[in-house]
Amino acid sequence: MTQPQPRIRRSFGDLSERALAFWLLVPAALLLGLVALYPVGRLLYTSLFLRRLTDETGNNPVFVGFQNFAQAFSDERFWTALWNTLLIVLVTVPGALVVGLLLALLANLPFRVKWPIRLGLLLPWALPLVFAGLIFRWFFDSQYGVVNDVIVRLGGERLLWVTTPELLFWAICFSIIWKSSSFVALILLAGLQVIPKELYESAAVDGANRWQSFWRITLPLLLPAILVAAIFRTITAFQTFDIPFAMQNGGSAFETLAMYVRTMSIENLNFGYGSALAVLMFLISFAVTLVYLRYVRGADD
Amino acid sequence: MKDNPRIWLWIAAAIVVINGFFPAVWILLTSFKTESELTRIPITWLPESPTLQNYVQAFTNAPILRYFLNSLIVAGGATLLCVLVSALAAYALARLRIPNKTLIFSLLVGVSMFPTVTLLLPLFEMVLALGLRNNYIALILPHAALSIPVATLVLVSFFQGIPKDLESAAMVDGCSRLGALWRIVVPLSAPGVFTASILAFVNSWDEFLLALTLMPSQAMRTLPVGIQFLQGEYSFPWPLISAALVIALVPVALVIAIFQERVVGGLTQGGVKG
Repeated sequence: MTQPQPRIRRSFGDLSERALAFWLLVPAALLLGLVALYPVGRLLYTSLFLRRLTDETGNNPVFVGFQNFAQAFSDERFWTALWNTLLIVLVTVPGALVVGLLLALLANLPFRVKWPIRLGLLLPWALPLVFAGLIFRWFFDSQYGVVNDVIVRLGGERLLWVTTPELLFWAICFSIIWKSSSFVALILLAGLQVIPKELYESAAVDGANRWQSFWRITLPLLLPAILVAAIFRTITAFQTFDIPFAMQNGGSAFETLAMYVRTMSIENLNFGYGSALAVLMFLISFAVTLVYLRYVRGADD
Repeated sequence: MKDNPRIWLWIAAAIVVINGFFPAVWILLTSFKTESELTRIPITWLPESPTLQNYVQAFTNAPILRYFLNSLIVAGGATLLCVLVSALAAYALARLRIPNKTLIFSLLVGVSMFPTVTLLLPLFEMVLALGLRNNYIALILPHAALSIPVATLVLVSFFQGIPKDLESAAMVDGCSRLGALWRIVVPLSAPGVFTASILAFVNSWDEFLLALTLMPSQAMRTLPVGIQFLQGEYSFPWPLISAALVIALVPVALVIAIFQERVVGGLTQGGVKG
């Protein structure tokens, strides 16, 4: 009967447990190192060189220090792309939060059959961004699009959505908000479901109407979930690529930072400058992530 | 509102459902229309003379099946690799004493927020150097890696839900730790593994930027890349694109419809980007 005892002690022993943990974590660490960490290091390195695959610097990069970054700061196209990206963030993050909150509040009503609602929220999430871009490109088609059809039927004028820059921007924002609001709704719905029902009941006893209980109970208690969704959305909105790419069929009349980074690195094969642009983008995104991690940790404590 | 709450419920349901479905429904309607019907003004809403011609075109003139196969191979391979690797890491994080666990979790979340486009150039360089451009491996590895954080977080919370006593009991009965993992934890966490798989699969199935750059040749395009390129390959591509989109969407929509509860659970607990 004493036989199994040492075996247990051994497998719970500090050394073997650590060793086991180490080996279990190695594959994930290797894969993430290869695909995420090494590339970031490589990016930082390349950003310090003049390296274009189209000339002799492709094989013999020339060290230029921070010159690529200096070039970026005086590059009008970089500032335009950054500005466009910020506009996307400023419009689509609040937009998706408002629409998502509305959808979550509706979806949280006591339906007897839940699956159509759930599917209505999941479908936009599962739809590839590019497909959403293509579908809305067709929606906003100047000649045969259904949006213009509705406008004309309502007595308005046909609008050139795809070829007018301001209109294109709003069409892109519309598509992004549609695509991302259902994800926000799913997060907020989970938050709504853990708010105790008794709070509303006692508020009703105290004579609060629906509007008041929304402002006094729902919104404050949902705030943590809203913040998480807001930060997630900010980080993904900052990376916007697929939808404007698909809606312009690869064109760059409206260019986000991610689009510019790709064009400079992959199309123009300007590795040095492309890396510097990517580093700048990475740093901005990283700052937002730090804020997020700090917030999540703070919430845990 | 107090007079007839059922009507309001119906309206609320209709708003959510219509909001979720209208683009898919519109593309489905479009796919049944002929080109001459699609280029008429004013446009028609319902197809006047429904046709399957666009689907025939999509299967014969455009290599949709090939794109489909490519997407399936990449997403399938990436999911398998990702879930395997994540399950090992998640078990260690959920069950074993590890120093700096918070740091590891922070790193995971941090990595999941790296902008994909910043990884693009180094990955492109690596793939060129290894001669792997237009090779499935070039896409499977990054797709698997990019889903590791989500899959790991989902699996950790599932593993934590499995009573530790069950494992200890198995080990008292003479199971090794890995034996207990295989016989007790793996079967009990099947739902978690499944949820993580769906999330990893959808992430890979949807990914565009890396697929566009690392597997651009006609025969190696995944569905998002292949269908996007149809836009430039035809003067009026919408009949073909709409049919292709329907073909691409049906399988994923089915998976989502069947496993919706698990997907919602996984999404809200893993903190996924979307």
